Amino acid sequence: MEGYKSIFDRIRNEYKLYIVAFSILIIAEIIGEFEFAVGPGMLILFPIFYGIILGVILGPDLIGLLKEKDVNAAKPLVLVAIAPFIVNIGITAAGNIPELVSLGPALILGELGNVFTVIIALPIALLLGIKREAIGAAHSINREVNLALITNLYGPESAETRGTLSVYIMGGLFGTIFFGFLATLVASTELFHPYALGIASGVGAGIMMAAATTSLGHVYPAYADDILVLGAAGDMLTGMTGLYVALFIALPLANKIYSVLEPKLKINEKSKSKVGTERRYDDYEA
Amino acid sequence: MKLKEWVILFIFIGMGILAVNLIGYNTSIATSFPGVVVLLSIAFLAVCIWKVIPLKLPVIIYCSLLGLLLASPISPISGFITESAEQIDFKAPLTMVGALAGISIGASIHQLKKLGWRMIIIALAVMASTFIGSVIIAQIVLSITGAI
Repeated sequence: MEGYKSIFDRIRNEYKLYIVAFSILIIAEIIGEFEFAVGPGMLILFPIFYGIILGVILGPDLIGLLKEKDVNAAKPLVLVAIAPFIVNIGITAAGNIPELVSLGPALILGELGNVFTVIIALPIALLLGIKREAIGAAHSINREVNLALITNLYGPESAETRGTLSVYIMGGLFGTIFFGFLATLVASTELFHPYALGIASGVGAGIMMAAATTSLGHVYPAYADDILVLGAAGDMLTGMTGLYVALFIALPLANKIYSVLEPKLKINEKSKSKVGTERRYDDYEA
Repeated sequence: MKLKEWVILFIFIGMGILAVNLIGYNTSIATSFPGVVVLLSIAFLAVCIWKVIPLKLPVIIYCSLLGLLLASPISPISGFITESAEQIDFKAPLTMVGALAGISIGASIHQLKKLGWRMIIIALAVMASTFIGSVIIAQIVLSITGAI
């Protein structure tokens, strides 16, 4: 958080947070790793997951050991904590530069996979009867950058922003665990090369990438380093290009699909209700 | 955040990494120590560069590039950097990330109740379709370019 008068001021305000975070870390590490087969996929539980779950449980909405103030103080610290992880990936990448270069085209074009969200998830949203919220929700994977973009374009009170915010919250709560599982589930189809899976791991937030690449590393130990490096590179690219892909490709496409599909669904609704009234009318006549 | 605050917070994070490497991976604190110092020093340098350069890129991009640069063959200290960093399991920093991320979303549970089941289905569909779309395109391009 900005605005502390001194470091001591920060420590005085946040010491409880540090103690709790450190205790969670110790407990999570003592529990260790577990693997479960869930259907064809594998759910691999890492200390990072228990860390998230314990952190949420102790928060203001459940047990309440940590207050709203601690929650807000923890937000900027996530970035500080992930920095050494990213440095380590950079160091690992240095040993894999030739590979990174040869896989470059797939890495860059893999970013366009974000557009699939519009093609697949938007029609699902419309079928479920969601209106303009669907544009925000299904234009991208909705991380911080997208939330800022949609809020900026449509305004904080808009339906589009409500949609974005919904996916943003869900991603924050379950994205990490879901991504770890999803990656192993897609891997279990054996349709994809570990490189492709590694690249796809980078579509979300850094922490989702960490979960997906870690899980994939368990499935393909021989490729663990490559998967990690590709996931991180994908994540970096998403960070740099995601905003522009969303603004110039995904959002116009989402609006186009919306304007084509939404009236059709409306007509269906109308014709259904017409059929309904006619039947009633017929019933009455009969 | 001021640079001094980054230093204090990095020391805290460093203690976390040492603890994880000890408990989770049975690596003694003495063995992990140089690696932790290397990772955090590079991260701190990246923060300094990020503060100086007016280009508004995320700080983690500087972390990654600086790590890459200092460990690449052109760096005179690449051997030391790589060997030190190898003592730190790549997952070791993640436990603290998880704990802090969990704490930082602790006040979002009540928001979840407001979303409704349809939005929850859509959120899962959004995450899954983004991943699947990306993996399909990556697989096709890898095949076309002959990388696999």
